[in-house]
Amino acid sequence: MADKDIEMMDDRGGLGVGEDVIGDRPRRYQRRRPRQIVPDYVDWKDVDYLRQFVPERGKIMPRRISGISAKDQRRIATAIKRARSMAMLPFVAD
Amino acid sequence: MAIRTYEVMYIVNPETEGDKIEKLNDAVGKLIEKEGGEVVRMDNVGIRTLAYPIQKKTEGHYVLFEINGTGQEILELERRMRVNDLIMRYVTVRVDEDRKAADKRSAKREAKAAKRAKFRPTGESTEVSAEA
Repeated sequence: MADKDIEMMDDRGGLGVGEDVIGDRPRRYQRRRPRQIVPDYVDWKDVDYLRQFVPERGKIMPRRISGISAKDQRRIATAIKRARSMAMLPFVAD
Repeated sequence: MAIRTYEVMYIVNPETEGDKIEKLNDAVGKLIEKEGGEVVRMDNVGIRTLAYPIQKKTEGHYVLFEINGTGQEILELERRMRVNDLIMRYVTVRVDEDRKAADKRSAKREAKAAKRAKFRPTGESTEVSAEA
């Protein structure tokens, strides 16, 4: 019995923190990616690392896709914006 | 009089001659020293492709400085960089707080890992690990 309960909770999909994305109803989709561990200090000059959070179009990947925590998302976002200002990452890419 | 650590990066016009860039970097270093700062690291990165054109150019010569100081040097340096025609773009980032926080985090993590390793049950001992 206990097992089944735990299984159902895992099925929520998306974020393990239990937060739902604005707008969408809690969609049942598998977690796109396993949660990444972000290093303690995110270096805005480390373009190769940051690129994993910047897909084709050049936009910053949302948290529900990358699966990282809120705190890390903020840090990654600041680093990306700084790199963009120094032309190391594009604002828009085609 | 706290010591703050800054990272200053600027992009120089790629068409300038190498020795002019050298002179510029030296001048920056001397300016920092004169104002009481300390250059921890200077990295003449070289020419890189820009992600988007700046002043119609697609490449730029990047230079990175790491500076310890009070902030007065940065003020002066930024004033000069603004005026200088060779420098196309610059950015100053204050990094001491972030690094301190990062170091604290890693230190905490290592301490936890060490404690965990110590508490590994050896079989006979009746120690109960006290981890949350």
